[in-house]
Amino acid sequence: MTRDTWQRLKSDRYGMCGLLIVAVFLFVALLVWTGLLGQSWSEVTGSRWEGISSSHWFGTNMLGQDILQRTLFGTATAFETGLIVTLCSTVFGTVLGALAGWYSHSWFDEVILWFKGVLDSIPFYLFAAAIAFALQGSPWAMHLAMIITFWTTTARIVRGEVMRIKQLEFIEAARAIGLPGVKIIFRHVLPNTFHILLVQASIVFVAAINTEVILSFLGLGIQDGVSWGLMLAESSQEVLAGHFGNFAAAGASLFILLMGFNLLADALQDAMDTRKVTL
Amino acid sequence: MNSPMQQPSPPLLEIRDLSLRFQKPERLIIDRVSFSIEAGSTLGVVGASGAGKSSIARTIMRLIEPDEGKVLFKGEDILQMDPRQLMATRQRIQLVFQEPSASLSPRRSIQQILLEPLQHFSIGNAEQRQEKILQTLQTVGLDGDVLRRYPHQFSSGQQQRIAIARALVTDPELLIADEAVASLDVSIQAQILQLIQTLQKDHGIAFLFISHDLGVIRQIADDIAVTYRGQLVEQSSADQFFSAAAHPYSKALLSFASHKPPLQPKGNRLRLGRGRTESDKAPVCVFARHCPEKVPVCEQVEPADHVIRYRNQHKAGRHCVKCHLYNKVNNHDF
Amino acid sequence: MKCPALSVKNLSIRFDDSSGRRQVVDRVSFSINAGEATGLVGESGCGKTMLSLAIFGLLPSTGVYVESDGIEINGHDISTLSAKQKRAVLGRDIAMIFQQPGTALDPVFTIGQQISAVYRRHNPGDKTKTRQAMLDALEDVGFGELEEIAASYPHQLSGGMRQLAMIAMATVCKPAVIIADEPTTALDSSTRLMILQQLERLRTKYQTAILLISHDLTVVRQSCSDVMVMYCGRLLEKTDCQSLFTRARHPYSAGLLSCIPQIGNSRPDGINAIPGQVPAATDLPRGCHFAPRCNRAESACRQSVPDFHYENGKGVACFRPL
Repeated sequence: MTRDTWQRLKSDRYGMCGLLIVAVFLFVALLVWTGLLGQSWSEVTGSRWEGISSSHWFGTNMLGQDILQRTLFGTATAFETGLIVTLCSTVFGTVLGALAGWYSHSWFDEVILWFKGVLDSIPFYLFAAAIAFALQGSPWAMHLAMIITFWTTTARIVRGEVMRIKQLEFIEAARAIGLPGVKIIFRHVLPNTFHILLVQASIVFVAAINTEVILSFLGLGIQDGVSWGLMLAESSQEVLAGHFGNFAAAGASLFILLMGFNLLADALQDAMDTRKVTL
Repeated sequence: MNSPMQQPSPPLLEIRDLSLRFQKPERLIIDRVSFSIEAGSTLGVVGASGAGKSSIARTIMRLIEPDEGKVLFKGEDILQMDPRQLMATRQRIQLVFQEPSASLSPRRSIQQILLEPLQHFSIGNAEQRQEKILQTLQTVGLDGDVLRRYPHQFSSGQQQRIAIARALVTDPELLIADEAVASLDVSIQAQILQLIQTLQKDHGIAFLFISHDLGVIRQIADDIAVTYRGQLVEQSSADQFFSAAAHPYSKALLSFASHKPPLQPKGNRLRLGRGRTESDKAPVCVFARHCPEKVPVCEQVEPADHVIRYRNQHKAGRHCVKCHLYNKVNNHDF
Repeated sequence: MKCPALSVKNLSIRFDDSSGRRQVVDRVSFSINAGEATGLVGESGCGKTMLSLAIFGLLPSTGVYVESDGIEINGHDISTLSAKQKRAVLGRDIAMIFQQPGTALDPVFTIGQQISAVYRRHNPGDKTKTRQAMLDALEDVGFGELEEIAASYPHQLSGGMRQLAMIAMATVCKPAVIIADEPTTALDSSTRLMILQQLERLRTKYQTAILLISHDLTVVRQSCSDVMVMYCGRLLEKTDCQSLFTRARHPYSAGLLSCIPQIGNSRPDGINAIPGQVPAATDLPRGCHFAPRCNRAESACRQSVPDFHYENGKGVACFRPL
């Protein structure tokens, strides 16, 4: 089945383009994590606002830091943020959504739905600020805020899918031999939601990065590193002085990576959709 | 000679006064149904497509809890069993569904699908389980190399064979087939019916075969039970049913099934008939509304199960009809 | 001699996409006269539904290649029409009744609105005329409470009634040809009978030609005068219903008939079945497609494809017909 999906994906030009872009950025992030690139992001290696030169390929920012280094480090930050938030919120959302869907219309389901409703109605940026305050500016405050609010969408989708799947005969067959509910959920139901989860995960990834940008503008973003969001925030003053280096580098990177991800997610969704018309 | 202390062994499966009510809207889905199946025999349950027949199957498997009645497997009430007994019983009764593509878990390989019941019921060790799987595949006419593939890679006929293999792997004594051939093309249906016949003859498996298709039932059933709106309106041996069915509904079913060509256009106008949900409290015959042979008492009193005894070349046995027309008939020689 | 209402000549459909090359329909030819009902019988995957979609031009345009020497309705070839011209023909001269009335009807419009829409498409203008035509169509298919049905939504009607509503939609413009694709599957026997009776009434009243596609031979027997048998994209036999059921000539037809469970006086000892399986569309055997499963096959059958021999309006494609 995954082979079929891969075949379909391969034939989608835009999708492969997206995959390539994501792969390249991921590679860069790996290099940063292993200490091979972007390590001098915080050092002041030049004078303020140097233009593009051989020693500073993207120039320098207001403090004289190398923009290229910062951009590279920002790639790692973007992936880190995206992966942590996506992983945690997807796992959490899937488990709660699956249980709510399986025991739908029971008190358990009602509690989870209520919980989801409450979280959904809190204005996100206020919530992020509150968490940052409560955790005394811990670098994980941002991730936590996102995880706590992003799981609800995944849970809602999984709940719907589980409610649909549990009506199918193969689930009845499992119940007929007496398999307990939890085993059925993990063995038979959840594997059939993976296609939806994958697409949802890529959407969350993009949302996480976008959110980090805005949080950085508010000063609630990355505390112990640099991210594209932070660079964009810095650049908001720089462009007034006529220096676009920061803005261009961070903006372009963000745009390219997110577009790559969106192309990939769309293509994945098409490739995994077995109901596509082939008659 | 039977010693007075010896009790006849109970039938393999016996249903007594089973009733199931639906809450919203309030409807009686199973209405005081009773029948029994002897070991190794096949009971065909027929009736229009509807929830009653399938619900009986699900109640036997204890997927639904009925409101009243007993389900006795070899004399023990399934509905009263503790989890351990229930698990042991579930090994002996298995279910085959209508849609083969929907009854196999899409993301699991055939190996996993067939292994699951063996693992769940802790039958044998790893080696024995594998051997059992291969043996069962052979019985249903499939090769060992289907094991590493996935359900969607097979045709519907093959999928149904796999579903049957899954049911057989625990060595059940009773197989409940819920419209198991209804979705299959006629030539594939024939192949699956051949398989079922083999299971009946060579493996002595009893069947509760639910179907709306009388032709199919004719091929494999020893006895027949006819349902209408949740009630069992007639029960008899298959031969008796197909030669001398008694209940007007049974006769109607048989006439529809006899495929008389060609059609004579009729002039009846079609009414909407929206008010279908009627109260089941009214004590009338459930078929009275549509019955071509009804008499006044049919709309006043509910008929009881009348037994027609017969002695002729067919197997001498019980023939029960829930119809006022057979009220005065006893020991009737057909 | 009047030309047939529907005439299909050498229709072939080929799929060529990521799943491979598949010859789904292979040079099928037939014709149906006005007022006649012909059944097209075959099992899942034989190409009968594809055939009907191709006649209509409802197949996707990429990866699908449709060829024919002509698809004529009352002598006019529609296969060469442009998309725009074709849209004028569909619904007016030829209409289709689909298999699943539940999904073929739009749930957000009333029955009346949907039927009127079809009429208006080909007869724009007068509202009163449209309404009258719609009500006439409903009456034609046998409904009693016309106004009520017209105002109902699909989900308010039973399966059988929805199918009748679909038939009304198909007949409102009094087309010359109606293609009914499995119109009675998923309906119980009494409703099935009713649907077939209504089709019969319409056929005699308006002299419509009907192509009834079904995997169920008995449905075809009840309502058609002629029948065609398809297997793996090819037409194997065409004859009148009476002959097929008593004296089928192609081994596949005979095999299929022997598989139908009969209600006799005694329970049969064995059950007949055609051995083997339908070959995959990407893996069709050389020569006659049925040869691997045929107990009358000889070497010629595996080498070359038997032609369809027509004689007295009957035809069979077999080197060794029964």
